[in-house]
Amino acid sequence: MKNVIVYVEHRRGETRKVTFEMATEARTLADALGGQAHAVIVGPGATTLAEQVKTYPLNGVYVNDDPDLDTYLLDPAVDYVEAAARAIGPSLILIPNTLSGRDLAGRLAARLGAGIGADVTEFKIENGTVACVSPKMGGALITTCAIKPAEYGIATVRPNAFAAAAGGAGATMQTLEKPSGKPYAAVIEEDVEEGSGELALEEAPVVVAGGRGLGGPEPFDTLLKPLAHALGGAVGASRAAADAGWVPYSLQIGQTGKTVTPNLYIAVGISGAIQHKVGMRSSGAIVAINKDAAAAIAEFSDLLVVGDAFKIVPELTRLVEAAKA
Amino acid sequence: MKIVVTVKLVPDPNAEKRIDSATKRLVRSGVETVLNPYDEYALEAALQLKERAGGDTSVVVFSMAPEALKETLRKALAMGADEAVFLSDAGLEGSDVWATAYAMSQALKKIGFDLLIVGGLTDDGSTGAVPGALAEHLGVPCITNARKAEIADGTLRVERETDSGYQTVRGPLPALLTTALTFGEPRYASLKGIMGAKKKTIAPLTLADIGLDLAVGSDGAKMQLEAFAPPPARGKGRTVEAADGAAGAQAIFDFLKEKKLV
Ligand SMILES: Cc1cc2nc3c(=O)[nH]c(=O)nc-3n(C[C@H](O)[C@H](O)[C@H](O)COP(=O)(O)OP(=O)(O)OC[C@H]3O[C@@H](n4cnc5c(N)ncnc54)[C@H](O)[C@@H]3O)c2cc1C
Ligand SMILES: Cc1cc2nc3c(=O)[nH]c(=O)nc-3n(C[C@H](O)[C@H](O)[C@H](O)COP(=O)(O)OP(=O)(O)OC[C@H]3O[C@@H](n4cnc5c(N)ncnc54)[C@H](O)[C@@H]3O)c2cc1C
Repeated sequence: MKNVIVYVEHRRGETRKVTFEMATEARTLADALGGQAHAVIVGPGATTLAEQVKTYPLNGVYVNDDPDLDTYLLDPAVDYVEAAARAIGPSLILIPNTLSGRDLAGRLAARLGAGIGADVTEFKIENGTVACVSPKMGGALITTCAIKPAEYGIATVRPNAFAAAAGGAGATMQTLEKPSGKPYAAVIEEDVEEGSGELALEEAPVVVAGGRGLGGPEPFDTLLKPLAHALGGAVGASRAAADAGWVPYSLQIGQTGKTVTPNLYIAVGISGAIQHKVGMRSSGAIVAINKDAAAAIAEFSDLLVVGDAFKIVPELTRLVEAAKA
Repeated sequence: MKIVVTVKLVPDPNAEKRIDSATKRLVRSGVETVLNPYDEYALEAALQLKERAGGDTSVVVFSMAPEALKETLRKALAMGADEAVFLSDAGLEGSDVWATAYAMSQALKKIGFDLLIVGGLTDDGSTGAVPGALAEHLGVPCITNARKAEIADGTLRVERETDSGYQTVRGPLPALLTTALTFGEPRYASLKGIMGAKKKTIAPLTLADIGLDLAVGSDGAKMQLEAFAPPPARGKGRTVEAADGAAGAQAIFDFLKEKKLV
């Protein structure tokens, strides 16, 4: 492992912040390992996106606008990244810790005989060995695992854990030839986008989450969304709210939902069950609004305001809006 | 049709986790071992597909774990799985994702399947990388995060959730499928199921039975766990009783200003 490869996840040329966080960290890692930092972008929109990725401190950006990436489920991406890794030589491959990022990481690990550091929030490099630090079991413990010296290693990187900073050497762009592999097996027949325009929950710097205390679906739109937008954040929910059908499961935070680590987490009408806690306890600041002073959430909040959410939230939104104006 | 479901046995996710300050290990005493929650959803999916297919469809659960945890697998049999296969061997200790997936794949080749259903994520290691690695070792299509699945004429058709919506995907059998939590709530084991499970078999497998070409366990692992540490302490914060909405909002706003969050 000497070079660093960043896998850029995107949708028709649109990517998320974690791409730039990885591109920035890749430079630091490559310098520590004495190698180069590269990015791989494949699928429709790759070339356009490459122009943006190139403004980060990388040596090279490998692209291919291959439409097969929109037709087949992940199979072409696995082939491309494997081909890039073999062309670039021994390297640490950074992949975002997302649904398809985890799939890709597992498949590449089997193909390249690579060790995986999962959900990494910090890297430590000593004598060429890469150690990965990750919070596990919903943040109940922090593990450090070392990828054994080998040609290839893989890390799935947690969004929001590393800083992104553009600048540095102008990276060269080159086409990554289409690898000839096995025929692709899984065909995408239909691809539907829902709830676009909203900030991805995992990447939002502020999360305003609602629970059973909100009593129905409307307050998520009328109460929480305005506050989240005023703070530049996204709306999340407890499982009780998702189970009741008030919000889609994609907003659920916790053990069986998403793990979020925003700078600010505001829990509204959420009691703070352990299964909820494990999905948000690593947040920067935690504020709770609850009618019940004895709610479990008090145990891990920086501030609990005891009162009625329906009265407090609109006032708070107004204060935040006023401060912005 | 033969459906195999992989089930990891993990420490109870609902128990508070503690690190022993001397050994730096997770305290396991007093913490029950359970079926990994995601895997209960995978099993539910298998049981639903079996009910729909009828005929001679069978559901086999597979787990790889230390011998002492074997009986935990009975819960899967009580939920409705027909049989279980349990791979256990001291030589597997210290396996990482790569070694786990490789050993599992060799056992699964021996067991055979038309459809392999795997959970999306575990509650302990939670790498979520085992499904992809398994699919590669087995050379089968890998379709993840399904909320619906149907099988017709040797083709698997899946509706899967993505980060931005959903997709419909098809692939040929045999295939590997992972399930989203929206596939359906895992059923409870009935009393009849619990009684029946006592008579079902948990077939043991060891490394000698599956014959591996490559090393597994700590020797074969490509990754080594070096240290466990407790998270930075997060103490109980302030509690403010709000006289009215405006006072509550002001208390929060002052806090946000103090923390430079607005
Ligand atoms: C295997 C398993 C997995 C689970 N996974 C998850 C998970 O991923 N995420 C998750 O969140 N849960 C999960 N749960 C469920 C969890 O145990 C709790 O049931 C759930 O988190 C409770 O949601 P809640 O806090 O919204 O509701 P409740 O516990 O009912 O709390 C509602 C709160 O709202 C307050 N309230 C009511 N009215 C008002 C008002 N007007 N103003 C202010 N406060 C008000 C009440 O005082 C109360 O504290 C899981 C459970 C199991 C068994
Ligand atoms: C705290 C902790 C941190 C760890 N960190 C890492 C790490 O960063 N990198 C690494 O390579 N290993 C790590 N490991 C080891 C890893 O957990 C094991 O190798 C494990 O068996 C497979 O990974 P997983 O638990 O992440 O499974 P996941 O990939 O999250 O599991 C997905 C699905 O695969 C199936 N599955 C997984 N394991 C088994 C099994 N033993 N039997 C049956 N089905 C199974 C289940 O259906 C499960 O739902 C860690 C272990 C612990 C306890």
